[in-house]
Amino acid sequence: MINTFKQAFKLRNTYKANGFIFGLKSIPLIKKLLPNSLYASRVLKTFADIIGVLFELFSTFVGKAVYLLSMIISVIQVAKLPSTNTFLQIFFFLTIVGGLLNTHLFNPSKDKYYALILMRMDARTFLLSDYLYFLIKTFIGFLPFTLLFGIGVGLHPITCIVMPLFVCALKTIVNAYALFDSRDGEKVKNDSLPSAIVIVISIAMLTAAYLPPFFGYSITEPVFLILSALVIIGGGFSFAYIWHFQSYLMIFRTLLKPENIMITNKENTSQTLRQNYHKKITANLTLTSNKSGYKYFNEIFMKRHSRILTKSAKIISLIAFLIISTAIIICLLVPEAKTAANSLLLNALPFFLFVMYFINRGETIAASMFANCDHSMLTYRSYRQPKAILSLFAERLKYIVAINAMPAAVIALGLPLLLFASGGTENPIEYVILFVSIMAMSIFFSVHTLVLYYLLQPYNIQMESKGPLYAVANSFTYFVCYFAMGKEISTFIFGLGTILFCVLYIGISLLLVYRLAPKTFKLRN
Amino acid sequence: MKLVIQDLQKTFDKKVVLSGASFTFEKGKIYGLLGRNGAGKTTFFNCINEDLKADSGSFAIEENDSLRPVTAEDIGYVLSTPVVPEFLTGREFLKFFIDINQHKITNPQSIDEYFELVKIESEDRDKLLKDYSHGMKNKMQMLVNFIASPGILLLDEPLTSFDVVVADEMKQLLRRIKPEHIIIFSTHIMELALDLCDEIIILNEGILEKIEKENLDNTAFKDKIIAALRGNEND
Repeated sequence: MINTFKQAFKLRNTYKANGFIFGLKSIPLIKKLLPNSLYASRVLKTFADIIGVLFELFSTFVGKAVYLLSMIISVIQVAKLPSTNTFLQIFFFLTIVGGLLNTHLFNPSKDKYYALILMRMDARTFLLSDYLYFLIKTFIGFLPFTLLFGIGVGLHPITCIVMPLFVCALKTIVNAYALFDSRDGEKVKNDSLPSAIVIVISIAMLTAAYLPPFFGYSITEPVFLILSALVIIGGGFSFAYIWHFQSYLMIFRTLLKPENIMITNKENTSQTLRQNYHKKITANLTLTSNKSGYKYFNEIFMKRHSRILTKSAKIISLIAFLIISTAIIICLLVPEAKTAANSLLLNALPFFLFVMYFINRGETIAASMFANCDHSMLTYRSYRQPKAILSLFAERLKYIVAINAMPAAVIALGLPLLLFASGGTENPIEYVILFVSIMAMSIFFSVHTLVLYYLLQPYNIQMESKGPLYAVANSFTYFVCYFAMGKEISTFIFGLGTILFCVLYIGISLLLVYRLAPKTFKLRN
Repeated sequence: MKLVIQDLQKTFDKKVVLSGASFTFEKGKIYGLLGRNGAGKTTFFNCINEDLKADSGSFAIEENDSLRPVTAEDIGYVLSTPVVPEFLTGREFLKFFIDINQHKITNPQSIDEYFELVKIESEDRDKLLKDYSHGMKNKMQMLVNFIASPGILLLDEPLTSFDVVVADEMKQLLRRIKPEHIIIFSTHIMELALDLCDEIIILNEGILEKIEKENLDNTAFKDKIIAALRGNEND
C-alpha cells in the first residue's frame, strides 16, 4: 500500500509539474524563452515538486485556519456571541455539512481518473492509501488550530484534540454509507453533484449551526464529547467496512466517467463549451426570415437566440422600469427622498455608465455569435471575404444597437422624469443631456463590444483563446466603468463629455472595422 | 486549368513542415495526398486556402498558358471535422449559401435537388444542423463546397466519417464532378486512395512527390508507396 501511495504521489507531482510548466509557457513573453524540452528538465521538475509540496503543506494547514477563522471565529466576534459553546455548535454542524458535501473519496478528481482509469492502478489500494492520506492530512491540519482557537475560546484541550478526530470519523461514516449505497455500481454518490436530499440536509445543518446561537442555544462541551465519542466509535466500524470493501473498481468506473471530471483537455473543454452554447439555440423552426443573404442569416441567428438576447433585454427593461417608477413614487410620497435623488441625478451620472455597461448584452451576443455561428462559418472562405464580413458586421450592429436600445430607452426616459419628480433642475438642458447621454452610452457599448470582437476575436477552432488582448480590452472597459462609478461630476459636464466621446469613438471604431476587420476577423491558428 | 505550386515553405517554431514543396495539379484528376501523421497535409491545405501564410514560395492558377493568383472563389475546402452553423436547418443553410454565391453558380438547381445530390433524406432537411449526425454534417459541408463549384477542391480526410454506403455514394459524386475540377484528397486510407484517385502524391519531409504506378499491380504499388512514406527512416 505504501508503494501504491508513493507511485500515486509521484504521478500527481508529475502532472502538477507539467501543468506548472504549461502555465509558464502560456505567458506571452516567457513562452518564447522556454523550449519544449523543458518538460524533461530535471531542475525545473524538482522546482515544481518543491512548489507542489509547499502547496500541499499550505493547503493542509492554511486552509483549515482560514476555515475556522472565517466560518466560526469571525461570526462569534462580529455577532458578539458567547464564544465557548457557539464555537462547538457551529463546528459540530458545519462538520456534518462538510462530511456530506466533501467526502474526498467520492470526489471525481483528476488524480483518481489518471490513476485508476488511465494508469490502471489497483483501485482498492490506491483509493485506500489516498483516503488514509486525506484523513491524516485532515487531522494534522486541524489539530494546531482547534487547539489554538479552542483553548482560546475556553475549551478543554481534550475537546480540542477530539474535534479533528470527530471530523475524520464523520467523513468516514458518510463514506462507508455511500460505499454501501453505491455497491451495485449503478447509482454512485458524486461530491460534485450532491443529491437533493443531501442539499436539504446540508441547508438544515447550516441553519442549525448558525441560527440557535443567536437565540442563546448551543451545545455544551459534555454533549459534544458524548456525541463525538459515538461518532468516533461509528467511524471506527465504518473504517473497517471501507477497509474490507472489495468492489471499488466497479463503483469508481461509474464515478470517473469523463463527463463527471473536469479534465481540461482541448477537445473536452471546447466540446462542453460549444454544447452549452448550442443549448441556447431556440429550436423553434417557425422563427424564420423573409430576407436573403446575410440579412436572412443574421435575422435567423438573432431570432433563434432570442432567449439570451431580446428576452433578457426585455426583462432588464422591465426591471429598470420598476426601479425607476418606484423611485418616482417614493419621490412623490416622501419629500426627504427628493434631495438625495436629485443630487444623484445631477452629480452621479458616472454611476449610470457602470449600469449601462452592466446591462449591455454585447459580450454575451459576441460569445454566442462565435460559438454558434462564426466558429463554423469562418472556416468557409466566402464568409471571410471583406464584403461579406462588413455586410454582416453592419447587420449585426443594427440588431445589437436595437436590442440594447430597449432597456436604454427605459432608463433614458425614466431618469429625466425622475429628475423632474425629485424637484427638477434650473438648467432644462440637463433633461436633454440625461436622455441623450444614456442613449449614447448604450450605442457606445453596443459598438464597442462588437468592434472589439471583430478586431480582436481571440479564439481558434478548438475554442481556445490565443491572445490575451481581447480579455484585457474587455476587463479594461469594466475597470474604467467601475472606477468611474464612484466619481461625482456634474451631470452637465459628464453628460456632454460622454456624448462627444461616444460620437467620436463610434466614428473612429467603425472606420477601423472597415479598414481592419477583413484582416483581423478570422479563426486564430 | 492547373494549380502550380512552387517551392512552398512553412516552418512552425523550429519544425520544418513544408520545405520547398512543388507540384502541378491538373484539372480532371483526383489526387490522393498521402502522408504520415503530422507530415503537414493540413498545413499544406491551409497554405493553399490562405488560412496560413506560407513562409516562402508561391502557388497560382495556370490558364491559357498564363499564371494568375488563386482567389477565394477558386477554392473549396472541406475540413476533416465538419463545421456548420448549428442554429440553421439544413435547408436554411443551403438557401443562405445559394443566396450569397448566386453570381458564381453556373447551373442553379433547387434546394431539394441539391439535397438529393448528397442523399439527405427529406425528413432531415428541415432539422437544425446541431441535431445532424457527424456524417450528415460532413455531407452538408461537402455540398456547400460543391454548390459554388470552385475550380479546386481540397478535401481533408473527407470520407472517414461516412458509413460504407455513403462513402460509396460520395466517391461516385467525386468521380462525377471530377472533369470540371482539380480535386486534392488527403487520406490515411491507402485502399481509398488507390480506388478513387488518379494520381498518388505523398508529402514526406516537407516535399510533394508523385508515386508512379508504372505497371505495378496494386500490392506492389502499395509497397512502393509505403517504402516512399518511410523515406529515410531506414537509411
